[in-house]
Amino acid sequence: MHSRKIGDYVLDIFIYVSLIAMGLSTLVPFITVLSKSVSEEWAITSGKVNLFPVGFQLDTLQYVVTNNQFLHALLISVLVAVVGTLASLIVTAMTAYPLSKRELPGVGIIIILFVFTMMFNGGIIPSYLLIRQLDLIDNLGSLILPGLISVFNMLVIKSYFESLPQSLEESAKLDGARNYTILFRIILPLSGPVLATIGLFYAVYYWNDYFHPMLYINSTSLKPLQLYLQDIVMNADSSSFKMSAEDMMNVPAEGVRAATVIASTIPILLVYPFLQKYFIKGVLIGSVKG
Amino acid sequence: MIKSSRWKLARSNWDMYVLLIPGLIFLLLFKYTPMYGVVIAFQEFNIFSGIGGSEWVGLEQFQKLVRSEDFFQVLTNTLLISMYKIVLLFPVPIVVALLLNEVRKMLFKRTIQTIIYLPHFLSWVIISGLFVTLLAPTDGLVNQIIMAFGGEPISFLQDNSFFRSVVVFTAGWKEIGWNAIIFIAAIAGIDQEQYEAASIDGAGRIRKMMSITLPGIMPTIVLMFILRIGSLLEAGTEQILTMYNPLVYETGDVIGTYVYRMGLGQQDYSFSTAVGLFNSVVGFILIISGNMLSKKFLKRSIW
Repeated sequence: MHSRKIGDYVLDIFIYVSLIAMGLSTLVPFITVLSKSVSEEWAITSGKVNLFPVGFQLDTLQYVVTNNQFLHALLISVLVAVVGTLASLIVTAMTAYPLSKRELPGVGIIIILFVFTMMFNGGIIPSYLLIRQLDLIDNLGSLILPGLISVFNMLVIKSYFESLPQSLEESAKLDGARNYTILFRIILPLSGPVLATIGLFYAVYYWNDYFHPMLYINSTSLKPLQLYLQDIVMNADSSSFKMSAEDMMNVPAEGVRAATVIASTIPILLVYPFLQKYFIKGVLIGSVKG
Repeated sequence: MIKSSRWKLARSNWDMYVLLIPGLIFLLLFKYTPMYGVVIAFQEFNIFSGIGGSEWVGLEQFQKLVRSEDFFQVLTNTLLISMYKIVLLFPVPIVVALLLNEVRKMLFKRTIQTIIYLPHFLSWVIISGLFVTLLAPTDGLVNQIIMAFGGEPISFLQDNSFFRSVVVFTAGWKEIGWNAIIFIAAIAGIDQEQYEAASIDGAGRIRKMMSITLPGIMPTIVLMFILRIGSLLEAGTEQILTMYNPLVYETGDVIGTYVYRMGLGQQDYSFSTAVGLFNSVVGFILIISGNMLSKKFLKRSIW
């Protein structure tokens, strides 16, 4: 039995060391960027800032978060995320409810039409040409409408509706209630947790979306946070290969870049406790399909 | 008789169909219209003439595609990056789940989980920002370490011999923790009595891990693997778009980014749509085959 105990001990050391190493390698990129965002510029460019800040100051962060362009991009992102999430939740629930009634004629084929789009799509260019034709280029609608319904999310809500007891709806129907009344007055109030989960799925999707704004937004005044951040990150990075004199003027200093990355991460950090809780639920609902 | 009762059901629930209207408009306009739009892959599409007025050229775009050296480079890059991601990254979350399952100190376990799930919620732009700083040629932490050991600094994001590694590593950094969740849940679902019986038989922890836990989550592993193969041609378009630059097109340009560059950068709409269509069709075949495999071996459909 003695060797078993030593074996257990070695195993535990291995487990804890590997997990701590993984945790640290997740944290290191954050720590080094955070340190640069609060260090003096000379210390950064001379390569003195590694893991810990040198010459602590908060001016760079303050400059970044009070910068008008940053605040404007932040506002656009908040607007798109809030309006997009609400619109997506309402339309997704409105679609999921009828589709949860398999006995209704036509429902089966509509579900197939939705599911098919998870496997096959027209691709980037036809979607771009459509948005162009709808005159949605440089319109915030182009960031919301193409992703209004996520079929995956719709199927999760649908299977939740299917799991609710029929008796609720039947008694309401006997009282003469219409289906939309039942959906908005009875079903949705009972669906708090699943709507919260799916709402967060949508919110994170809209918030983090880089692809759609990159395709459809050219105007500086409509750029959401991700696009603004990408300009800053990549402008600085491209410095090493091609750079016009004009670009030189616009290249943000290392510290500003780091501070912008940190400032853009903060909104997600603030809601992270909710995200973790509800996202895990959502992933598990999705995997144990209804 | 049956038909008329279904008709009655539909009529008495007419408002259900009203509820469906916004969803159906979305489906037709934003999903099926672009699918119809792929016909421009068989045209020499002119944006001013539209689909109706553009010249039909049959398979000319696809012949151009097969002859194009770019396309083969891009396809090779896509497959290489995707396969590196599968081979190197797919097993890691399983190991992480197995390790976390052995941790008895709950506070430690929860702390590690909280840390390693975080990157999943960050956009690729933020992550590329983090790594551009970490890997910066002179003042980045990694190059500081390399130089401290007497090495030459490396421009990881501008060097064709490192770019793919950076793409694979950062993808792992972002998603490994999160991808462990599904396996952690599968482990939690294993019948505890099996472990008790094994303990009575004198099995050690590694033995139990190998003979109970791993076989117990094998169906989940196989299912996740099949799903993963289904997205073989998606090497990480959004990720690469936020990280790459012309210096690393040679190794980093994948189908998704190439379609974007050809279509929107060079306005070669028909050719890039043809490339996109190739991508969609192969992707579709992979997903359908995956589903057939899943039905055959796991007795369940992916949907």
